[in-house]
Amino acid sequence: MMTVRERGETVATLRWIHVRLMETLAAWVPTTPEMEVKLLFGAHIWDMAQHADALGKRTHELRMPLQHSIEPEESYRSLLADTTSTANTAERVATFYDAILPAIAARCRHYLEGTDRLLDAPTVRILEHILREQERMIAESRELREQLPVLELHDAAPLARFLDAEAAMPTIVHHRGEPVAAGAAS
Amino acid sequence: MQLDPSETRVVRGVTLRRDPAREDCFVIGHHETEVQAARDYGSVEAVRSMLHREYNNETQNTEVAAQTLVDFPDAPWELRMQLARQCWDETRHARMFLRRVIELGGRKGESPIKNGDWSIVGMIDSLPGRMLVQHRLFEGGVLDSFRQVARGFRESGDARTAEIFEVILADEIQHVRFANQWLRHFCKQPRAVMQMAAALNFAAGVFRALQPKPGERSVDDVDLAGVDHSIVINSDDRQHAGFTAAEIADLMQKDSQLEQELNA
Repeated sequence: MMTVRERGETVATLRWIHVRLMETLAAWVPTTPEMEVKLLFGAHIWDMAQHADALGKRTHELRMPLQHSIEPEESYRSLLADTTSTANTAERVATFYDAILPAIAARCRHYLEGTDRLLDAPTVRILEHILREQERMIAESRELREQLPVLELHDAAPLARFLDAEAAMPTIVHHRGEPVAAGAAS
Repeated sequence: MQLDPSETRVVRGVTLRRDPAREDCFVIGHHETEVQAARDYGSVEAVRSMLHREYNNETQNTEVAAQTLVDFPDAPWELRMQLARQCWDETRHARMFLRRVIELGGRKGESPIKNGDWSIVGMIDSLPGRMLVQHRLFEGGVLDSFRQVARGFRESGDARTAEIFEVILADEIQHVRFANQWLRHFCKQPRAVMQMAAALNFAAGVFRALQPKPGERSVDDVDLAGVDHSIVINSDDRQHAGFTAAEIADLMQKDSQLEQELNA
């Protein structure tokens, strides 16, 4: 059974990831030539921001500052940075919608399986909402890929590398075990 | 925020941000002489060209808002949320315009585009300065021009296109409003005031340098120096967007002075 602190640290870590993914999409918007993809990324910036915001409100309810983020384990941060550094549009789309979002969904489901759905009901509601919304985002990306053959991925190796490396991490949450400083929100 | 020289381009003596990524189907101009300028509500070709230009403009607005999220990671979270929402709004606007272009028989990339707003705003390295120029100046101007254009389409019998401009106009009010709220907050900080003044000065310098010279014509043969740029100030929507009565009165006075100068 997780403690309140451990729940807060998990939620704050998920917030960090969602803010980072919002920024990743934002950086890709001006640098992606294909207009339809650019507009897909642009729309999903708002989705990721809302998910981060919901998580950030929950951190405050778990004795942490409002909109508090905690960096994930270094190995996850560097994996995310490597995977999102591609400039190829097909790779960007596949990486984001076929690897990163499904991996986050798996982490959220794992959390939901391990938490008490009554004691932790507000977090459960938020994560279930995020899961539904991210399934819609993935479906929108698939619809676009059916329309644009240029988005066909020719080399799936980077995706497989991400999924293997991510799955090999037992946890991405860096549990500190000490009190969180007030005003440490970012 | 420091730009590498490879990220900039010099146009008529002024250094601007290099264009955002575009597909090969687009012809990119860097001055009014390199794009179309005709505004004829009765010509399908001219209407398509206007809508195609707006399609690219809305895409640019998405890019500016997104780049602002990237360039200013320490901005207050509430402001980042508003910029993120704006990204979504602008993508929908771009899609609305392209859909109408296609309905009228056109296609993506059919007329030259110009990334003027991105090129100017992307050079501004402060958040207050960028919001002043992008939101209050450029998008504030859209509040005036879109109402006028929507009326033009409605009077010419094209209610469908008019509705697109009216819907987008309502969204743009929100963008200008949140910017005005933040700008009033920034005004309490002397450094931010200086940054806004520098940004405004830079934008004014670019406008002067890029102003068409007598005799210059657009690619569709419009005499650019002779184009009537007068627009009726949309005081109702500017009020909704957080402009004070005194600010609107200032704009109307400037507008009236400009009209007198043009008529003299």
